[in-house]
Amino acid sequence: MAEKTITIQATRFDPDKDARPHLQSYEIPFIDESMVVLDALNYIKTHVDGSLSYRWSCRMGICGSCGMMINGQSKLSCSAFLRDYWPKPILVEPLNNFPIIRDLVIDMEDFMHKLKSIKPWIIRKTEIPLGSGEHRQTNAQIDDFRQFSECINCMLCYSACPVYGLNNEFRGPAAIALARRYNHDSRDEGTKERLPVIADAEGVWECSFVGECSVVCPKGVDPAKAIQQSKLDTSLRFVVPFGNRE
Amino acid sequence: MAEESGNTRVYRKTMPPSWWTRKAHYFWYVVREFSALPLAIWLLLLLGEIRSAANGPAGYHPLGGTGFVIFSVIALFFSLYHSYTFLSLSGAIIHFKVIDRQFPSWPIVWAQMIMWAIVSAFIIWALWWFST
Amino acid sequence: MHMFWWFMFAQGGVIAALLLPAHILVQGILGPLGGMPVADRHYETWVSALHNPIVKLYLIVLISVPFFHFAHRLRYLVVDFGVHEAKGMWAQVGFYGTSVAITIVTIWIVWTTAPIDIGALHLLG
Repeated sequence: MAEKTITIQATRFDPDKDARPHLQSYEIPFIDESMVVLDALNYIKTHVDGSLSYRWSCRMGICGSCGMMINGQSKLSCSAFLRDYWPKPILVEPLNNFPIIRDLVIDMEDFMHKLKSIKPWIIRKTEIPLGSGEHRQTNAQIDDFRQFSECINCMLCYSACPVYGLNNEFRGPAAIALARRYNHDSRDEGTKERLPVIADAEGVWECSFVGECSVVCPKGVDPAKAIQQSKLDTSLRFVVPFGNRE
Repeated sequence: MAEESGNTRVYRKTMPPSWWTRKAHYFWYVVREFSALPLAIWLLLLLGEIRSAANGPAGYHPLGGTGFVIFSVIALFFSLYHSYTFLSLSGAIIHFKVIDRQFPSWPIVWAQMIMWAIVSAFIIWALWWFST
Repeated sequence: MHMFWWFMFAQGGVIAALLLPAHILVQGILGPLGGMPVADRHYETWVSALHNPIVKLYLIVLISVPFFHFAHRLRYLVVDFGVHEAKGMWAQVGFYGTSVAITIVTIWIVWTTAPIDIGALHLLG
């Protein structure tokens, strides 16, 4: 019996030679039902074409390195099973809305800068000395921010966000959701420091609530909701007399 | 579009104005936003009808005609889609705590839908009541 | 300022979502087709309704507030179609200014058409 195969069409771009990216087709054996797109790329790199470049690390949906456009959908390539696409060919492209460095590798500089701009760490007016023991939180206090702390910085939400695609100045889904993660942490006192970045024209007000960021998130974070709730909270801070609280 | 960035040359794709045809979700988002236009026109027509009541009994022309009814059917579709999306999305955004716990969003969404049904029934009744 | 326009956008969205479908169904479809008797089909009944100050206030809210919602949505939609200029100051003046203008016109039309009958109110009192 002929061996089962599957066709992978991957974006190729060599900055030293190519004016623009093009697609290259690879037909590879599809031997194991548990194979994912990342396995296919690794097969190509090992057996067919060692020059194919892409990022990956943990291959189990934790590190957030292997995000790609798979048949036009933002996905972690380690979580996209070949069996869901076979016998049709699979189109593998670098993440949308980011500059392409080489093949499937995108430039994440802008994202890193935005992540840092919202000060994703616990800010306190006065530090609690280490000797005073642990800073305890109730389950309810943890539930307040836990969802937003699941983010693995895979950038799928940015690649699915048309607002970011149209305007790279937009702070973007993951960064704003992460700001909310710290603002809602009972140990944090930094909301006012983050507010200028969040309540800025290029912050929450730029979002028009397409909602695709929450659809593509592989970790079940809901950045769209985080952004709309931030809009509501920022408005209420000024409308409600006691809204301008800490 | 290729450009220099630091020492490496990168390729930057620009987003075409037709981006919203790529995915069904994008398309329905644009439908949701576009609903503003037919609804705005419909309300302006209603305002015109109120204005024409200032012309006296002979000059008053209530809204009607095949074209207007067809447009109203289209506007009703957009209006219902707006109501459905706005009430379910805003219901999910409204957040408050009851005894230290985040109140779940589904009862808020349902409460808004029920409120919509009651308010709609009242409007229909009032428009009939004023005709008697 | 973004915050204020967004707040008005949300208010307009609520008003349009709760009130509009019933009006379009009754005044746009059932009334013209004769499916049910509706106040605005006849001059006398419509004007007597318009004399009512509560009806006046209601109509002003129904017509004007949603325009803050529409202006916001349409401005963002124009941006979505790649017109970056719609983010600028002048576009905001244009879109939100239109909704302010429509509010003023609505108040004027609803107020002057079938004015509130002070004498009738006096008789009631």
